[in-house]
Amino acid sequence: MALQENYVELRGLNKNYGNFRASNNVSFAIARGKLVALLGPSGSGKTTILRMIAGLEHPDSGEVLIDGKVMNDVPGNERGIGFVFQSYALFRYMTVFDNIAFGLRLKKAPKQEVADRVHELLKLINCEGLEKRFPSQLSGGQRQRVAFARALAPRPSLLLLDEPFAAIDAKVRLELRSWLRRMISSLNITSIFVTHDQEEAIEVADEIIVTNQGRVEQVGPPTELYSNPQTPFVASFIGRPERVDNYGDFQNFDSLGTGSYALVRPEFVSVFKEGENKQYLRAAEEGIVEDVVFRGNLLEIRVKVRNSVIPSVRSIVQPFVSVGERVGVLVHRLMIVHGDNVDLVQNRAITSESVVI
Amino acid sequence: MKRFRNRSVIPGFGLSFGLTISILSLIVVIPLCSLVLFSAQLTVKEFWDAVTAPRILASYAVSLKTAFIAAAINAVMGLILAWTIVRYDFPGKRLIDGAIELPFALPTAVAGISLTYMTTNKGLVGSFFHRYFDVDIAYTSLGIVVALIFIGIPFVVRTVQPVLEKIDIQYEEAAFLLGANRWKIFTTVILPELIPALLSGFSLAFARGLGEYGSVVFISGNIPYKTEIAPLMIMAQLQEYDYASATSIALVMLFFAFVILSVNAYVQARTARRVNANA
Amino acid sequence: MKEVVIRKNSGPLKAFCIASSALFLILFMATPLAYILYVALRQGVKAYWTSISDPYAVKAAVLTLETTIWAIVVNSIFGIVSAWCVTKYAFHGKKLISALIDLPVAVSPIIAGLVFILTFGRQSWLYPYLEKAGIQIVFATPGVVLATIFVTFPFISRELIPVLSAQGTDEEEAAALMGAKTWTIFRNVTLPHIKWALLYGVILCAARAMGEFGAVSVLSGHLRGKTNTLPLYVELLYQGYDFTGAFAASSILVICAVLILILRVWLEKKGGKDLDLRK
Repeated sequence: MALQENYVELRGLNKNYGNFRASNNVSFAIARGKLVALLGPSGSGKTTILRMIAGLEHPDSGEVLIDGKVMNDVPGNERGIGFVFQSYALFRYMTVFDNIAFGLRLKKAPKQEVADRVHELLKLINCEGLEKRFPSQLSGGQRQRVAFARALAPRPSLLLLDEPFAAIDAKVRLELRSWLRRMISSLNITSIFVTHDQEEAIEVADEIIVTNQGRVEQVGPPTELYSNPQTPFVASFIGRPERVDNYGDFQNFDSLGTGSYALVRPEFVSVFKEGENKQYLRAAEEGIVEDVVFRGNLLEIRVKVRNSVIPSVRSIVQPFVSVGERVGVLVHRLMIVHGDNVDLVQNRAITSESVVI
Repeated sequence: MKRFRNRSVIPGFGLSFGLTISILSLIVVIPLCSLVLFSAQLTVKEFWDAVTAPRILASYAVSLKTAFIAAAINAVMGLILAWTIVRYDFPGKRLIDGAIELPFALPTAVAGISLTYMTTNKGLVGSFFHRYFDVDIAYTSLGIVVALIFIGIPFVVRTVQPVLEKIDIQYEEAAFLLGANRWKIFTTVILPELIPALLSGFSLAFARGLGEYGSVVFISGNIPYKTEIAPLMIMAQLQEYDYASATSIALVMLFFAFVILSVNAYVQARTARRVNANA
Repeated sequence: MKEVVIRKNSGPLKAFCIASSALFLILFMATPLAYILYVALRQGVKAYWTSISDPYAVKAAVLTLETTIWAIVVNSIFGIVSAWCVTKYAFHGKKLISALIDLPVAVSPIIAGLVFILTFGRQSWLYPYLEKAGIQIVFATPGVVLATIFVTFPFISRELIPVLSAQGTDEEEAAALMGAKTWTIFRNVTLPHIKWALLYGVILCAARAMGEFGAVSVLSGHLRGKTNTLPLYVELLYQGYDFTGAFAASSILVICAVLILILRVWLEKKGGKDLDLRK
């Protein structure tokens, strides 16, 4: 697509802190206007990547390009970026107004223009009337939005957010997530945020970059990452899969040889009671329920099939199953890991009739 | 007495409370009460005459002036020292960090005679300043300032240092990305964080400087109307067993110290409210 | 344009800061110390030895040691008991007690001395009773000890209170519920938490106690050899133009001060984790 030019591009970035490899040959490109998540466990190097884009850290080798220009020697304050810090770093001794106006005043913007822009942003973030408050007098959510406004005030063309929701309690976090998503898509500003929470990344981002041990594991839209993990790390990181070593024991699955194992997500497995009428009953295994946890909106079940215990979920509108109950178990698919490859393998009985769950 | 019974399950309240109150009374409360009692016996005239004698007024002026100047110099130098220790790595850093405590450990009289001996016109440092700058240090108010700088410097460094250590680099990064240069970052982000601590250190050094005696009496030369400090005047009255005058002068000095520390407490409380208020 | 490092550990500012810090400390700390040793030894080791082995010098040193030990013992007992009382129980008047504990350091040493004169001196209502009992406080050793305890009064409790209040009361409550008595709880539960802070406070207290000049000067009455502490003895010699003697006696205090500084740095390193709560 012609409009999908790359706005941010990283080429072979390396960064070491002593013996620690924070970034190992990191390369990826981000299209203009996208909202991208850098997702990985803590210590995976995602924040380092963000800070190198911002010019707060400097790569040992490799290039950072923004809008087609190499930025390595351009200081962070001239890269046209806005940065929202993890703990917001709002200036404690300045009012909300002064915080938001800070960047504009440094650019010697006329007084009226500063006031207009600040009020425009206050309106945008729903914090009108709070301009005279100090950061300590705001709620966590308000602080986050003020930090967001402060970063946006000088009209950056790239917005970087470091764990933007980490410091907020769970309930407000959900609201802020969707607020941020709406806000960024309406502003149409290229944005990158760092998170260790896959739910957050999947819900908010257009595209996710998964990092692990300083490397980029996979880049793609959330659905792609979910349905087509390309590395063992991504397969095990996304969703809540569990490892099964003797997957060759299952009906309709062949072992791909020694050293390989399967990852099975709960939603890959259905459990049904005796007498429940199901498709592919013939392809089902026999299993014994080992554990049932009521999660409010569904049941989490662990069921023993042959010699493996696998996870499953069951809707609560269906009849309950109880521990020790003999049930039918249908494994729809498995992610089989051998070496560095991941294969998504369908139950043969289902593939033959070409039905996808 | 029911009021002093405690409902905690930890035993020993009576014992510890009783001991605390007893010792506190003996060392602090009773002496303090006797000061109050004695002051109450003073007539207004006695007080006024003692306090407004020209020589006493001059000593207040000397004390306030020198303590203020020394505290101001210490605020600047203390900031530089704290900054150097916190922000830079260099060999000998630990030595500098430790040396700042010296005024707390070195007896004031010892510091006093050493500084005096050094800064007279024949001394190591004094002769240099005398010859090349025509400036005398010992036996002038400049000498008092020198002694008070020595006494006061750890107060500023030790209040500023922990605050400077705690400033998160994120604030500076945020200001930098919004376009601030080094000077702007310092004045708009770092300095506001440090000012309460600086003021605190300044006040402590100022109050301590007003009351300081040991290090100053030697270097000041004690020239009437010029380099006599207020504590020395109290001492002089005591030597003449004129307790009324001594107490009067002391009350005025306690008042000065009280004002300095109250102003500081007020400013600290105000900034703390601003920074720590809950939504 | 090259890479911008927000907190630079190089450049002209670093050079300036280190240079000015070093210059300041050399001028105000290192030179006076070196000067004391230099003047003390200027007339040879023999003259030095004669000075410090003078019976009056030895007597003054012994009195200083005695006074310091008294201050440490009384303030340790008070520090432990008051810190325990203030942090382990809930009761009214805590703030007042804390304020009274801190009060002595805000008072000029001369005024501290004055306060004890007013309490125990000839014009005090206590004086007839004391005289009848044959107790002399003012212008005698007890006065010197009391004054020293006063000026160092909060030094130990101020170190203990933050540590104990950070530690909370859970452990003591648990022990009490299992039936432990006060002494057992203190020894086995509380003391391990505060031992470093206690030692630290003792060091601060010792440093100030051995060097106290103003308050002691007021109360000693300057009886040569009877109630002279080392700092007073130094003054006496200095006023009598016996510079070698004055600086020789000072050198003993300098050595003690340096030892205290080293001990302090060592303690901060060793007990760092338990002391960190101080700041």
